[in-house]
Formats: sequence, C-alpha cells, structure tokens
Amino acid sequence: MESQIHKIHQQLVNKELSCTQLVQARLDALKQNTHHTVNALLDDMALTLAAKVDAKIANGDAIGLLEGIPFGIKDVYMVQGTYTTASSDLLKQYKSAYTATAIQKLLDAGAIPLVKENCDSFGHGSSSENTIFGAVKNAINPDLVGGGSSGGSAVNVAKDYTVFSIGGDTGGSIRQPAGYNNVYGLKPTYGRVSRFGLMAYASSTDCVGPIAKSIEDVRIVLNTISGKDERDQTTYASEAIAETTAPDAGTVKTVGYFKNFIESDAIDATVKADFLAAIEKLKAKGIAVKALDFFESNTLVSTYYTLAMAETASNLSRLDGTNYGNRIEGENLKDTYAITRSENFSEETKRRIVGGNQVLSQGFSDEIYLKGLNLRDQIAKNFEHDFNAVDIILSPVTPSTPPKIGDSLKDPLAMYLSDAYTVGFSLGQLPTLTIPQGTATGLQVTAAKTNDELVLKFANFLKDTI
Amino acid sequence: MSKIMTVDVLSSIKGAEPSEAVNKLFEVIKNANTSTPNSVANSNNAVSLDNLRADVVRDSSAIEKQIIIENFPKEKNNYLVVSKVIEE
Repeated sequence: MESQIHKIHQQLVNKELSCTQLVQARLDALKQNTHHTVNALLDDMALTLAAKVDAKIANGDAIGLLEGIPFGIKDVYMVQGTYTTASSDLLKQYKSAYTATAIQKLLDAGAIPLVKENCDSFGHGSSSENTIFGAVKNAINPDLVGGGSSGGSAVNVAKDYTVFSIGGDTGGSIRQPAGYNNVYGLKPTYGRVSRFGLMAYASSTDCVGPIAKSIEDVRIVLNTISGKDERDQTTYASEAIAETTAPDAGTVKTVGYFKNFIESDAIDATVKADFLAAIEKLKAKGIAVKALDFFESNTLVSTYYTLAMAETASNLSRLDGTNYGNRIEGENLKDTYAITRSENFSEETKRRIVGGNQVLSQGFSDEIYLKGLNLRDQIAKNFEHDFNAVDIILSPVTPSTPPKIGDSLKDPLAMYLSDAYTVGFSLGQLPTLTIPQGTATGLQVTAAKTNDELVLKFANFLKDTI
Repeated sequence: MSKIMTVDVLSSIKGAEPSEAVNKLFEVIKNANTSTPNSVANSNNAVSLDNLRADVVRDSSAIEKQIIIENFPKEKNNYLVVSKVIEE
C-alpha cells in the first residue's frame, strides 16, 4: 500500500479536505466501531489541533509532513491531562501529569492524537483480552482476537481509524497484533526510541514503535520518534533513515531462518508451507538462504517470561494506591496495599507479579533468575554470531493463526508459548518488522542491532518479491 | 532475619499462590544448559559513568503539580490522606 501520510498531506495542502473534516471523520469512525479499540477519545484536543492546522493552511503557511495526520496511542503512554489506564481497574481514573518523549516528538511535528487505545493490561497478554474495556476484536474476523498486547492499535490502523498508531513491544506486542491484522509493525532496536513516559513492563526489553499500513509511513514515524533522550539513559543517537524507492535487495546477499522454528510440531502446516514458499522465492531472486540453529522455543519463551516477570514484579510494586490509583482502604498500610492490589489487578497481572517475586526470592534467584540472565547472554551472542553469516533473519510471526476470543485466557501456558517466534528478537534487542506478507500472520524481518534501516530496505524489496 | 515470606506477602496480593503454568516455565530454566553457570556478563543496558545526566533538581510545571495532586486518592480539609501505619 502507498504511504497514507504522503497521500493525506497532499490532500490537506491541495485543500481537497480540511484537517477538521479529516479528524472528525476518524473520530466518528472510532466512536462507532465495535472492535473495542478505544479506551478514551481525545476529541477536544484533536479538534483544537485540527483547527490550528486549517488556520495555517488557510493563511498560506507551509505545513510539515506529519502536521494534521491523525494517530492513535496505546493506553500505556503518558499524554499530559489525559487518562492513562493501562487498561486496568487500578489506573482507571489516572491522569498523566506529563507527556511521553515519543508522543511529544509527534505532537511537536504536528501529528494529531485521536485515541488512547485498548491493550492487554500493563502489556500482560498476547490477545488484548486482559483488559477492563472488553476484548479487542480482530480487524479481519471479529470472532478472533485482535492480538496483543497492542491489539487496539493494530486494529485501528487496519480499519483506517488511525493513519498510524504507537504501540509498545516487550516480547512481541507490536509485531504479533500487526501480523494478526495484516499491517506493518516495527519493534525498533532497543534504545533507538525513548521509553520515557511509557508505563514500564519489563524495562530491559520494552520498545516503542509504530504500526502503519506502509513501510514508508513506518519510516516517517520512526525518524520522528527516534533519538537520544537524557530522560531514558538507555537511548542512543541514530541517523534518520532515507526514503527507499528502488525495490532491490541492496546489500542483502544472504538471508537466514531458524530451522527449529519451521521443523517444530507446534507450527501450523499452512504457515510452514507458506514460509518455505517465501524462502524459495528469495532463492529464485539469487539470494542465498541459510538454515540456522537456534534455541528451542521452550527455552526462549521461558527465558523471556522469567526475566519479564521479575522486572514487572519490580516495576509494578509502586502501584499500591498510596499516591495515585484506585486505593481501597484496609485496616492499616500493609492491608491497604494488599487489598488495593488484589482487587484492582487482573488475574494475568497477578500471575506475573507472583511469578516475578518467586523468581527474585532467596533460593530461587540463583537457580532461575541468574540462569535466565545467562541464557539471555547466550541468545544475544548467538545472534551476533548469526549476523556474521547472514544479513537478515526471516521468521514467521506466530506459529498459527489468531485464536478465537475466549480461548487464550483459558490456557495461559499456551498463550506464553504462542510468543515463541517473537521473544527471541526481544531478548537480543534487535530491530524487527512484521510485514503483512508471506504467511497468514505475516513475516518478521530482523537485522543486527541498530540496523533498522536495513530492515526497512529489505522489507521494501520483499513487497515485490513474495 | 530468618522470617520466611510467602509470595502473597512479597507481592502484596491476598491469597496469591504460585501458578502451575508459570512453574512449568521455571522448570525449563532449571533444566536448561548454561555454558558458564552463575557468571552473568549482562551489561547490555549499563550506562557509562561519563554519560550520566546532570544531577540537578528540576521543578515540575504548575500543571504537572496540579495533576499529581488531582491523582491523589484521598483528600480531607486540604490535606492528602494516607493509610494508618501500625508498627509491628
């Protein structure tokens, strides 16, 4: 698909439609939608900003590329004065006191936020069913889940309610819903985009990234939100990525894939056949393909969840109802903490907090947590080794197609295991893009750390190749 | 300190118990082979001492302060009310 941002920008400049008309139409579509994608509409703010863009155009002033472009925000990002609930009872009435860096950069570029989007509570889930706002329904088949945790964001983009949305990806939460709804979703290299103002889930793999309908729109948004931020000291300075028009493989000579992902019993037969067909098309274009050895899915998933649960138990310990949140009074301070947390956290969030505290407790930490860290180091080294031999790693996004609404919550272990293909790249802190091609839930394109540009260029090549 | 704390106390979640699904993940880790056990070279996210931000206090804006107070769960006669703390 062509760039929606360029198209709308031209329509605004040519006065084919006003920004107010554009924003109002999208707000109306969001309001009427039955996919449960909306936690809160930002209509007043959006219409005020739209009127300013219209005034500028009427005045003959030039507008920037993102100026007037409507976008969505996963409801885990702070936007000053708006409710930021993390789809939880605990923060149902919580108002952001400040604005996240990535969102501020988009606001500074003139983009217009329309909606705080439904997601799994605190990012805890792979289906966007773990939410107080109702399960997000898939854009293609509403009987199926929207994917998660950035489910509302992916569905809004797929349904054209937003031009792009900002999701959050800790273990696959942008890439998997993008795959389930046939749109693009990028998890940039860890540290490329500031996490300041994103509610922390697992800080060592949390990433901010765009979901959009074209590679060009992903590129425009990524360039806008990237950069070093002194308020997130894990960020690094990066160069802007130039627009690619030529659909050639560029410097990519060799592509790798993990053979154990494809030989696994867990993969759906059609996903497997489609993936292998895509690989054959690459070979036909003269690209060398290498089957790579990798860690077993069980090890990847267990390492990821062990570390993520430990980090989320620590990050969410601040949520006790003292300074903010839905406090429920008990007999004393500790009782108040316990009742507030017991009553306000979902079952899945409690499961992860308890798991995290198990991992971090004496007697367990050496046996599990430190071993988990050690495994992560090995996984990262494995990637370094692989990227000496290949330029790009290609992978399915998920082993199977989206489950029916209601099925995931019954079996948490199955839900964790469904993240098998996404969590490894998170642990490696690599740039990975889901493209809506190749299999029913798309393909992941991954390059070495900080080489986000190569990911986008190769995705552009794949557009016409598979 | 030899007091044993259960996960419900550690988590401040009443009646919380370890989950079977999560324990299965931990079993995988326990049984996994690690090349150099207990030596973690994980320095992925370490920040160089030369690269720390300046240690200066920055005042929040008036609107930030106002929202922070608005978010406070309980207020009485212009005071922010916290829970009773009982020494054990």
